[in-house]
Amino acid sequence: MKFTIGWLYPDLMNIYGDRGNILTLLRRAQWRELDASVVELQRGRAKNMDDVDVFFFGGGQDREQALIYEDLREHKQDQLQQAVKNGAQILAVCGGYQLLGHYYQTAEGERYDGIGLIDVTTQAGKKRFIGDVIVQTSIEGLTPSTLVGFENHSGRTFLGPNARPLGKVLTGKGNNGSDKTEGAVQSMGGGIIGTYLHGSLLPKNPHLADHLIGEALRRRGDGALSKLDDSEELAAHGWILQRAQRR
Amino acid sequence: MLRKTAAVWAGKATGALSRITRRGGGTTLPGDVARAIDPKILTRLAEDLTHGAVVITGTNGKTTTARLVTWLFEGIGQRVVSNRAGANLIYGVTAAALGKAGTDGKLKADWGVFEIDEASLPRAVEEIQPKATLVLNLFRDQLDRYGELETIAKKIEKALSALPEGAHVILNADDPRVAEIGLSLPHKPTWFGLDDLAVAGEQLPHAADARTCPRCGASLLFDAVYIGHDGVYRCPNGDFARPQPDLTATDIVLDGFDSLMLTIEGTRIAMPLGGLYNCYNVLAAYATACSLGLDGRYIAERLKTFRAAFGRQERIEFRGRRLVLVLSKNPAGFNETVRTAVELARGENFLIGLNDRKADGTDVSWIWDVDFEQLKGRAKLVIPAGVRAHDLAVRLKYAGVEAQPPETDPGKALDALVKQTNEGDTTYLLCTYTAMLDLRAELVRRGWAQPYWET
Repeated sequence: MKFTIGWLYPDLMNIYGDRGNILTLLRRAQWRELDASVVELQRGRAKNMDDVDVFFFGGGQDREQALIYEDLREHKQDQLQQAVKNGAQILAVCGGYQLLGHYYQTAEGERYDGIGLIDVTTQAGKKRFIGDVIVQTSIEGLTPSTLVGFENHSGRTFLGPNARPLGKVLTGKGNNGSDKTEGAVQSMGGGIIGTYLHGSLLPKNPHLADHLIGEALRRRGDGALSKLDDSEELAAHGWILQRAQRR
Repeated sequence: MLRKTAAVWAGKATGALSRITRRGGGTTLPGDVARAIDPKILTRLAEDLTHGAVVITGTNGKTTTARLVTWLFEGIGQRVVSNRAGANLIYGVTAAALGKAGTDGKLKADWGVFEIDEASLPRAVEEIQPKATLVLNLFRDQLDRYGELETIAKKIEKALSALPEGAHVILNADDPRVAEIGLSLPHKPTWFGLDDLAVAGEQLPHAADARTCPRCGASLLFDAVYIGHDGVYRCPNGDFARPQPDLTATDIVLDGFDSLMLTIEGTRIAMPLGGLYNCYNVLAAYATACSLGLDGRYIAERLKTFRAAFGRQERIEFRGRRLVLVLSKNPAGFNETVRTAVELARGENFLIGLNDRKADGTDVSWIWDVDFEQLKGRAKLVIPAGVRAHDLAVRLKYAGVEAQPPETDPGKALDALVKQTNEGDTTYLLCTYTAMLDLRAELVRRGWAQPYWET
């Protein structure tokens, strides 16, 4: 069975080791004997996105983010929306998460519109949130029920009624540092997960990687995935949990 | 003046105390103390220098290049003050200057040669008013601490623009982000770059980051890639291109971590340093020394006898095994040390150390930008070590590299190395800064190495 990963702006939006997320999806699909590949979605008229099962949209520096801002709306928005309606999954981290929301508002009150695929808004904050994050996830059936990662953002993101949090913050700041939520999940045929967690996120959270792969494959079957030996991944995950307890 | 002398005395006393109590090399704390008493202490001490100061910044190569420049000055009988132990924030520089100040509070040296952290460069330039400022490269590094590359680049540009005419600025033409800074300066800098397609690649590695045109935003085209995003590049719309270098290194021959040869201005230079990144360091040191009036033939002759800095590529014998310690702290640097160890030195045994303390960067996500895939099928032994050994183990697994169980304890990591290798074997220890310190401290404790402030 085919499995296609769509990497949005791999050369511009890849600031926090985002290749780790791509490699994790790719290898875990290959280890299940899936015919997995990565499609790079660069600036300009987009390739056909209908075959993409999981999209990844990472963060970038301000300069790079400014370069893709128009392109996202002009060449990607409609096809992304259609793909998710047809059952694809999107994982968006940091800058990618903000751009999928309704808008980003600067400290001066200027608003930059996102593409509104996910019901969140973001405002610039003064202090940067930097450090380890542990989240108690709200996604059902994930074992373990924690997600671990690293955050580094000054944006304060707030959820609207159509999005629910990816989880509750146990360590770290999360969406905004005030309501204890981290990330956002929204379903519309397929699903979208937005989050501030990098580190990279998926290598230390193999259960979340499998959730994305499984959900995306549901449209072609039952989405059931064979079990892999995740001892290294879960040891790295567990090490973060243990350190947080010691501190 | 009284205040300066008091600051010097207090700083020196702190340094002495810190060594006696064995709390470390006394490399930054004296700076803190002296600056608290006299905030202008560094400017005052820099004014005592007979000839002036050189400041060196960049993501990779600062320490080695500063050592090279120091070596060149010392060879003509100049007294040099430099911050040797990799303490490269403003406090470390201040502490170094204090170390060479006399009881009269005066700094007794002809030249200051300081390596400065990229984010601290603006302040250092302002306080020291250097005769020469060298920017080696700007790669992605420790995002958690300093914010993003772009912010730092803008600050460096501002600081260099404020330098008076006659102050030398020496820049790497091969680095697009550094070139962008240089092209906006009011006075023309000295450009240096490599010119040898035989050692270049054609594709950008994942660690590359400054690759769009600063004018039109188009992705840059690379005719040659040397390290990370350093190479020969141009904008497809003709808006931006690599500046023509004033000094080039050609006919490069690399021999693992042991030696390199290159030609600058028609002079063949052989060095006991390895790796392509050191070609940049040598060329940069040459360009800096030339701009300050040293003779090219003297430089070439003097460089042959150079010795590497702490942890940069240090060799230690340990229970009959040969250890080669190579500091590897960010994707661009790590890719090069792995490439040098695997391709040029034909290395087979590796201990990779990853820590996430403040000096290493608390965010370890950058390991996913390092091409550890290079080790696949070539390395016989890979031991993931350091505080974040577990993250390394996962990274290696997804790179398809078979590795030993992760060892977070430095002593146990060294024990594993002894167990898995034979006498006479060479192992490459590629480590982040404090992971290197931890392993070295363990080697010192077992009597196989000297404490770092004595080397």
